[in-house]
Amino acid sequence: MIKMKKPIATIVLILALTCGLVSIVAVKALAQSVGHSDAQVTIIKDNCVTIKSNLNQLHASDALLRVNMGQLYESMLTKLMDKFNSRLSDNHYDNSSFVFVAGGYSSTLNAFRTDYIDYEKQLSSTIAIDCASHPNDFYSAVSSARAKRNQVRSDVVKLNQYLDNYETAVNGFEINYQATHTEAVK
Amino acid sequence: MIEENQTGDNKSSKRRFIILLASSITMALALVVISMYIYGISGAAQLDLSRPGYVTVRSQATDGSVDVNYSSVGNIDQSSITDFKKVYSQQSQKIKTADAFSGDPLGDDSLGLTVTN
Repeated sequence: MIKMKKPIATIVLILALTCGLVSIVAVKALAQSVGHSDAQVTIIKDNCVTIKSNLNQLHASDALLRVNMGQLYESMLTKLMDKFNSRLSDNHYDNSSFVFVAGGYSSTLNAFRTDYIDYEKQLSSTIAIDCASHPNDFYSAVSSARAKRNQVRSDVVKLNQYLDNYETAVNGFEINYQATHTEAVK
Repeated sequence: MIEENQTGDNKSSKRRFIILLASSITMALALVVISMYIYGISGAAQLDLSRPGYVTVRSQATDGSVDVNYSSVGNIDQSSITDFKKVYSQQSQKIKTADAFSGDPLGDDSLGLTVTN
């Protein structure tokens, strides 16, 4: 009976050691996967106040950027695109390509608004984390905020692309208009 | 008998007054909670530069009156197209120059989280 117990105890011991080793490796791998190391954790703890101050500044400057840029983007749609589309329609010109671009622009503008809200909420919650006592949580939150800011940036790039597309459509319309009217004059 | 009735009336009106006060306060609190909820979920909170954290940048906000003037009515001719292109190009350029949300201020380097060996 005692002889039977020894191998079992050995197996249990080996299993326990293996589990311990695997969990250590897993924790390290997890830390690597979110992109931070022990050294970075130390940096976060040591420079917590400075990092938070930087984040607060970014929070304020991004809010200002959102307000000012939001107004500009909005005005492009409501004061220019919509009005030009309406004018084309009133004069019986085919404005379908303009409406299509303006529709895409409008959807992207909505996405920009929503994505900015997500980003701002994430950044606010990141700033609220005590980075001195919870550096890992803080780093994960920063990573998440970074991803959400990149999404806002991607919306901005798309909006700018739509602005270019609309301009191209106007140029195309102008060429057609000139060609039609030159022929009419001839 | 009359005194008893008067005392009863006083108590009743006092109770009604307390109920009125309590219901007014409850209603006001409920409206505040609802409005704060709407303020939070609508995105207004994110645009509200009067919040305490935005003191430093508040003065730099533009007033929103973008100097764009293009009429939605009128003929389409070469002049109207040229006018539109001019205004559109100016505004578009303003937006592109700003190059909003570019860079990586949340990157490890920007936040000073890069480990130097």
